[in-house]
Amino acid sequence: MSSESRGSIHLDEAPRTLASGEREFMLDVHTQDLEVNMGPQHPATHGVMRILIRTDGELVTGAQPHLGYLHRCAEKIGENVEWLQYLPYTDRYDYLSAMNNNLGYSMAVEALMPGLEIPRRAQMLRTICVELNRIGSHLVAMGTYGLDIGAFTPFFYAFREREWMMALFEKICGARLTYSYIRIGGVFNDSPPGWLQEVERFCDVFEEKWQEYYDLLVVNQIFVQRTANVGVISKAMALDFGLTGPMLRGSGVDFDLRRDMPYMLYGEMTKQKVFDVIVARGEMGTLGDCWDRLYVRVVEMMESIKQVRWCLDNIKPGPVLGDIPKVLRIPIGEAYVGIENPRGELGHYVVSDGGKIAVRCRVRGPSFVNVAVLEELLPGTLLADAVAIVGSTDVVIGETDR
Amino acid sequence: MNVPMSAVERSNVFYDLLAKFAPAGVPTWVLALTAAGVGVGILITFVSVLAMFSVWMERKVSGHIQCRYGPMYVGGWHGWAQSLADGIKLLSKEDLIPLGADRPLFMLAPAIVLASIFGALTAMPLTPSVYFADIDLGLFFILAMSSMTTIGVVMAGWASASKWSLYGAMREAAQVVAYEIPLGLALLVPLLVVGTLNLREASELQSGWYGMHWLVFQNPFVFPALLLFFTAALAETKRAPFDLPEAESELVAGFMTEYSGIRWSFFFMEEYAAMFLMSVVAAIFFLGGFESPVTHLAREQFGADSPIYQATAGFVLLLKAMFGIFLMMWLRWTLPRVRIDQVMTMGYKYLTPLALVCVLGAGVWEAIF
Amino acid sequence: MTATKDYLFNVWNSLTTTLVGMKITGKYLLQKPITVQYPDERLPIPDRYRGIHYLEQEKCIDCLACARACPIDCIEMDAVRHGKELEWISFTLDYQKCMFCELCVYPCPKDCIHMGTEFAFVSFDRSEFKHDLLSFKGMAKEARIRMKGAEERKKAREAAKAAGLPFEEEPEAEPEEHG
Repeated sequence: MSSESRGSIHLDEAPRTLASGEREFMLDVHTQDLEVNMGPQHPATHGVMRILIRTDGELVTGAQPHLGYLHRCAEKIGENVEWLQYLPYTDRYDYLSAMNNNLGYSMAVEALMPGLEIPRRAQMLRTICVELNRIGSHLVAMGTYGLDIGAFTPFFYAFREREWMMALFEKICGARLTYSYIRIGGVFNDSPPGWLQEVERFCDVFEEKWQEYYDLLVVNQIFVQRTANVGVISKAMALDFGLTGPMLRGSGVDFDLRRDMPYMLYGEMTKQKVFDVIVARGEMGTLGDCWDRLYVRVVEMMESIKQVRWCLDNIKPGPVLGDIPKVLRIPIGEAYVGIENPRGELGHYVVSDGGKIAVRCRVRGPSFVNVAVLEELLPGTLLADAVAIVGSTDVVIGETDR
Repeated sequence: MNVPMSAVERSNVFYDLLAKFAPAGVPTWVLALTAAGVGVGILITFVSVLAMFSVWMERKVSGHIQCRYGPMYVGGWHGWAQSLADGIKLLSKEDLIPLGADRPLFMLAPAIVLASIFGALTAMPLTPSVYFADIDLGLFFILAMSSMTTIGVVMAGWASASKWSLYGAMREAAQVVAYEIPLGLALLVPLLVVGTLNLREASELQSGWYGMHWLVFQNPFVFPALLLFFTAALAETKRAPFDLPEAESELVAGFMTEYSGIRWSFFFMEEYAAMFLMSVVAAIFFLGGFESPVTHLAREQFGADSPIYQATAGFVLLLKAMFGIFLMMWLRWTLPRVRIDQVMTMGYKYLTPLALVCVLGAGVWEAIF
Repeated sequence: MTATKDYLFNVWNSLTTTLVGMKITGKYLLQKPITVQYPDERLPIPDRYRGIHYLEQEKCIDCLACARACPIDCIEMDAVRHGKELEWISFTLDYQKCMFCELCVYPCPKDCIHMGTEFAFVSFDRSEFKHDLLSFKGMAKEARIRMKGAEERKKAREAAKAAGLPFEEEPEAEPEEHG
């Protein structure tokens, strides 16, 4: 194979020397590393990510993720449409947690509007939706991770509960995937009658089903063997790469924006000790392996249920939209707001010159940052482990490419 | 045993029937060949119908496990004709051969895979007196023939000129070599008890206790051996959790990546035929073969030569084999896939020693009692 | 010794976790599936569903608020004003572009554009995705009558003016409520 070909990984071409214990005749055996394109059309890359891997038998000796197959200029669009009009575009970068994206963008713009007060009911509704969406997103992460490892059935169970979650969102905002529900200054609609009770029923059922996922997938011996001690990210490495979210907590770093840089109602919840931040302890193997990352996600779902229940207990009738003019003109200034997305810190940096359109709209996507670790992590693993590691980063290609 | 050694005289039902109705003067070899042709025809039909039914069953089982229905429309009742429709679709598809592929090998591979599994199935008795070949080394023959599918799979992987296919083929080769040993060792345990490799005789020898004198009940080491055999058989037939040669999420479709249409369906048929074969072997050498209280009753009531007894016995065996296939499906839709080094670890470090322990224990038990 | 313990633990654990998993999957094998057979039975669609738009044309005042609110400019409207009345030429929505964000619904001052519950929209031709939301072209019957009345009044007023008589303004009839 030609190492000059475009997009190939350049390994050092130094002549092979005799390693200790190797006989001379072994040099006559010429083995060739195989360059394989994993993706953009591959069942394990969760979309259209392409990973160029170089393998020696089953062993991966080099890997290079190639991004950009789904690039849609989201940030540039943000500088060409009005403030509110950008909202539907935020749905589309991390399409599994569109509510969180809506919230991140809305909060960034709200930070530029002094004196704007978000009604408490709107904040409650926002929290419920965001946390439900987090559950849905983690369900997909868990289900597709099961698919990567080869277990098909948990995926369908996860989608069964996610279906209910989407039906709930459908009732409150009319869409199943790209919600555009949380807007600058509050939320678009108040919850329809009976919706909050249904959310409570969902919480009850979900707690039962959660135990099934745990027994069926997370503690299954084969699953543990496949994921424990695989793709270990040490604490230092996680911090160096700027990982956030479950990837960071899976490496044992106790950091969650919801608790450590509280926004919305999370400060109140932290004071009342409503939820815990789940940090992996390396139970099944080394701290920071694939199992730990999945464990953080799976257990975090239950914490989200606690938060939703707290909101359901404290929600009161009231307005759901703050004092927002029909034509938004945001005061001059710049703001960066990072929120805890299911995949990590989703930051929005917006600059306003006082007009109807943003001057700069920049997104810090968690998947984009998290995917960088693959190049470091994949070499030296088996091909099957490579799939497990890519799955454990839980990338959403819509967001890495934006 | 006192058996005539001539191949022609080792008659089976088809040969007997032909010999009865053929006009005098027809040479025996013509009769033998015709009987063989009839047998092969029946076998191919049987395997095709079986594969279709198994595919339909797999889809229904997986569907219901995953809270969905599976096929529901084709044919009316619960989509029973879905596999038939799929088969017609596969037959009418374009026969694609990749440009870089090794054409002769690429075309030969599915044929070898299917032929070897057909060959293995000839040693399987359909009922106590309807069989294609009555081979004294029946089990040995089955194991040898079913291992030959590996050659076809490796051939397919190499000839496809696709990197994913090559991975799949290499995995298959490594896996089958590793699991031949525990498979054979686990089968040694019931063989120690029953003392014959002939499938028909092995079943006959379990007919005591009103049809419940199964080998699993005769020796305490046979049951663990059954578990070991089942695990090894899963690996032999490339079923989950050992479906590494076609690991979907890793190798796209493994050795079948470049195949399509009817050639692809040959691999599919082979998989289900192999599942059936392994289930039949398990049923005969562990779970009593044709024997059950129902079979016993039929024999007592109607005599060993009556068609009713034969049909009952065949049905019982089929039922046992189908239960084995169902278990394999149930496992497939429950478990994740193991990694290639874990497959090796499991084969060499767990199954082989445990099988050896079982062989030893069974031998000691047989010597004492 | 620990190695032996680990070995046996692995065997035991594999067996038990497999059995636990099979128990869960077996439980669902015997239960009724939760999916519905789509074309025969359908899940209820909530009222707020964001499907294909519909327009209450009689209310619409051609203010372009929805077209301005649209992030991708997929709404195009064209109407001719005759005094207070509107003669509709087109009100198209390009569903190749539309992303069903509902931003066009909120700014409407007359609350006349809505999103319906219809979602299936299949066509062999791309041009058919450019949907005309108008239920009728030209002028509404009532608007025609109103316009005629206004013209007659105007004529009467001019005639009265020419004759030098005082003219009494009739109160204008309120437009009928629709929907």
